[in-house]
Amino acid sequence: MTLAQALFLAVLQGVSELFPISSLGHTILVPAVLGWHNIDRSDPTFLAFVVVLHLGTAIALLVFYRDEWIAIVKALVASVARGKLDPANREESIGWRLVVGTIPVGILGVILEAPVRHLFASPAVAAAFLAVNGGIMFLGEYLRRRERTALDRPDIPIEGMSYGQSVLVGLAQSAALLPGISRSGASIVAGLLCDLDHESAARYSFLLATPVILAASLLEIPKLFAPGAHLVAFEAVAGGVLAAIAAYCSVAFLTRYFKNNDLRPFGWYCLIAGTVCFVLARMGVIS
Amino acid sequence: MKVVATLLAFFFLLLGLAYGLGYVNAFTSGAHSHHFTHLVVCWVLALLCLVWARFQGAPARR
Repeated sequence: MTLAQALFLAVLQGVSELFPISSLGHTILVPAVLGWHNIDRSDPTFLAFVVVLHLGTAIALLVFYRDEWIAIVKALVASVARGKLDPANREESIGWRLVVGTIPVGILGVILEAPVRHLFASPAVAAAFLAVNGGIMFLGEYLRRRERTALDRPDIPIEGMSYGQSVLVGLAQSAALLPGISRSGASIVAGLLCDLDHESAARYSFLLATPVILAASLLEIPKLFAPGAHLVAFEAVAGGVLAAIAAYCSVAFLTRYFKNNDLRPFGWYCLIAGTVCFVLARMGVIS
Repeated sequence: MKVVATLLAFFFLLLGLAYGLGYVNAFTSGAHSHHFTHLVVCWVLALLCLVWARFQGAPARR
């Protein structure tokens, strides 16, 4: 992997991790489309580099939502010390919903990550799932509009979700184990179907992603010191910093974007890019 | 429910230990090795079960 490739992948990871377009799908498809056959996704050095990129993304999310996380952690510790839930405390309610929502992806991630990665890590499959990801976003928007029109239900805040709904959003996030399915896309759609508005669904999705990405990258830190992992210090630091900057800018943009806009532009992108890449993969143009 | 939560915590604690020592290999990518990630996840679940037990056992507020 050259320095230019490393820096490009860092920006790609930082952006695609938070935009609802699947980072895993893009890290499979983009090198294939660009003909970067020198990148071996199972190479220990590449895996170590990916750990650094994930760490950078997680740190960017923590920094962006730092005030919220401090308040949430304080509220959670206080409620455990008290031994009683306080439904009137907003941060505490959001915090426990995040905890409950993180459990499914924690369990399913540990159980399914390796076999799923082994089975589906080909450009054709990633492209097909990317197109499906676009379809999921269109379906989510359609169902939300239909419910709004038919039932006239008001939007609820994050703390208004039930714990069952939090688990459902967490389960939706687990779909991102499939390359091409976006973590944030799936969880935002699930949030919309639980009566959150776009802004709240996106915020909950990003808050929910933070402990998952952070824990996944921390647990993978041993890969940095794996035999055969010859990570160049400059590449690692520059990659991590670039991924963090890209992720910070992405989350800042998306939180503003979802105040007045919906998922359909991302749905179009995934549908078109996924279909084109799938056709190219089937024709043998990319592999 | 407090008893159930405590028993579950104990179960996850032991399960995590078994994964960590390599005695259990279910749902892992490689057999007969130490599964650090599974150990951590099991112990986090055990901790959450203890938190659940704590919420069940709080004295009623006057």
